[in-house]
Amino acid sequence: MNIPLQVRDVRYAYGKTRAVDGVSFTVGAGEIFGLLGPNGAGKTTTISMICGLLPPESGQVLIFGSEAAGTSGAARSRMGVVPQEIALYEELTASENLNFWGRVHGLSGARLKTAVDQALEQVGLADRAKEKAAKYSGGLKRRLNLAIGLVHGPDLILLDEPTVGIDPQARLRILDVVKSQAAAGKAVVYTSHYLEEAEQICDRLAIVDHGRVLAEGTVAELRRQVGEGPVVTLKGSVSDQQLQALVGRLPGLKLLTTGDGAASFAAADATACSGLVRELFQSGAHVEDLRVTEPSLQTLFLKLTGRELRD
Amino acid sequence: MRLILVLVAKDIRRRIADPAGLLLHLAIPLAIAGMMALAFGGRGGGANTPVMRIVAVDLDETPFSGFLAGASQNPEAAGRLEIKRAVNREEGLAVMHDEEFAAMVVIPKGFSDALLGGTPTQLELTKNPAQNIMPVVAQQGGEVVALYLSVASRFVGSEGPRVKRLFDEDGGGWSDSVGLAATLATLYGRMDASRTLLFPPLIEIREPEKPKKAEEENGLNWMAWMYPGIVVMGLLFTGLTQMRDLLHERTAGTLRRQLTAPLGAGQLLIAKVLSVAAVVAIAHVCLLVIGSIAFGVHWGPLLPLVAVSALVILATTGFAAMVFAIVRTERQGDAFGGILTMLMSMVGGAFIPPQALPVWLRGVSQFTLNHWSNEALRALSLGGGWAEVRTFMLALALIGGISCGLGILLLRSRHMRGAL
Repeated sequence: MNIPLQVRDVRYAYGKTRAVDGVSFTVGAGEIFGLLGPNGAGKTTTISMICGLLPPESGQVLIFGSEAAGTSGAARSRMGVVPQEIALYEELTASENLNFWGRVHGLSGARLKTAVDQALEQVGLADRAKEKAAKYSGGLKRRLNLAIGLVHGPDLILLDEPTVGIDPQARLRILDVVKSQAAAGKAVVYTSHYLEEAEQICDRLAIVDHGRVLAEGTVAELRRQVGEGPVVTLKGSVSDQQLQALVGRLPGLKLLTTGDGAASFAAADATACSGLVRELFQSGAHVEDLRVTEPSLQTLFLKLTGRELRD
Repeated sequence: MRLILVLVAKDIRRRIADPAGLLLHLAIPLAIAGMMALAFGGRGGGANTPVMRIVAVDLDETPFSGFLAGASQNPEAAGRLEIKRAVNREEGLAVMHDEEFAAMVVIPKGFSDALLGGTPTQLELTKNPAQNIMPVVAQQGGEVVALYLSVASRFVGSEGPRVKRLFDEDGGGWSDSVGLAATLATLYGRMDASRTLLFPPLIEIREPEKPKKAEEENGLNWMAWMYPGIVVMGLLFTGLTQMRDLLHERTAGTLRRQLTAPLGAGQLLIAKVLSVAAVVAIAHVCLLVIGSIAFGVHWGPLLPLVAVSALVILATTGFAAMVFAIVRTERQGDAFGGILTMLMSMVGGAFIPPQALPVWLRGVSQFTLNHWSNEALRALSLGGGWAEVRTFMLALALIGGISCGLGILLLRSRHMRGAL
């Protein structure tokens, strides 16, 4: 079996709280697969089951055809994990950190040295390799955190929110590294709650919330679930009856969400969009804010869950 | 095995890269030893020094006064000081005259209460008029003891009643571990605060150096008795600090990250225990060398020393593993481990001879690794060899083997529960 990762209907609960509830997906070689969802959606628990830290209550995780829980050393050696927390030894230099993690994964001698040099080069830390990690900024530590997951040249890379809390420049650097890994044929699982980031780098995505996959597909496929036309979002004092009446009168207009004095619509085209604006003003509704945007994953998440991803 | 060595090497490298914690735990016992050496005179004199013979009349009859009156029970002190007890003044005077004792010391009733309560009191000293030199030496010695007791009393200050409880027959003071810890912390703070005031002394008495005779080298070295206890205490603190790293790695996420690598939890735990043992061994060697150079402690023949040291390291590591298998957080480990270490050091005879402890506490002492470690190292430092340390080594092997095995099992069970 050469499929890098197969997750089949896995479930996990912390006590009475169900964190993952029947998640399934497959990741192929050279593919970046995104797990997108808010904090607490079950992304990290899913990653923990994939890398063998948590045994699934039910379901199965296969890494290159082998079970992840209690998996053999060989299968684990082909997997690189970049956890959400910055898990490195601050007393050691970047070079020493990478040497240690490389050795743990079975590298030694000239192979180890080459691998360490390459990893440092990839994340742009070659010129600061001899500095203790404690002296690094948050962004540099994130880069070293990433390099540790890559040093042994894994074929499957699990990245759990690798860009949390860093500046845009460091984020771009990390995203470039991730894309280059996929281009080299590595399978990548990338969790994030940054929509733009996921849209930018992921070949396929699964939107997860409350431990379930709400939607899965390529970015284009997911956008189509919202509609091809623009999305209109308004805030103001418009009743539900008024909103329903508007949708009834205007063909090509679909109500996505309502509540808290706000509503969003998927318009089939520009005509439907302008028709909505005209009807609103003619009805004398009190509108405080009205925006017309292109359909995005944010819109899809809004449609699927009724709330913004940042919530 | 290769992976375990990689993990151990990583921990040692980290400790070397950031040695502050290790140095601190080496510095504390050395500072205590240094202060004691300065306060009590460090090395002893030659073997030909005459024995000071004193008659002691203990009218106070408290465990504390009993400890003072029984100072010569310490086998090392017995070579320099002979104290014979008498029931009252009359009997004491008769013994002094008939058996040619240098002086008689009467500890009056209420002496312990007054001393530990910080109020003025007296020690009564009667010189033997039939002798010339030793009674004068006894008087000077008595004045020095009185001075030290006065300083100690003021140093103890408000903690006096709690210290007194430690010497009570019922041993009630030892069961109040929180109060005991508070007392220790207070006394340590005072000692630390007064260190720069008292030490180093501005004036030292220097004797012209002269070549040592063989018999002088065999003379009493007071530090040879005290220093091993301090070494073991320092090793316990070092072991705890190093084992604490397991919980630190859990918090930092590096432990979970290692578990995603091709490593088993058992390998990780064994490696952590070995790395603790390695760092404790480094600390042990440092303390032995410093003890030898700075305090003139001779550690006896090499092979018994190596064997005893290995077992002390094993037992110390096992203790640290058990502590951190039980506690949940690093802070809990620091507090619980620190209190246990201090208690075991005191009960195990690090600072006072076990013979001076209440009878029931002497039994407790046998269950501490400090007792066996102290006795083994002391036996070597006082000139013993294999024969003198055999029993201690057996006890240490038993304690070390059980505690290390149990510690690893408990840590593994904790890992299986997902609590590590």
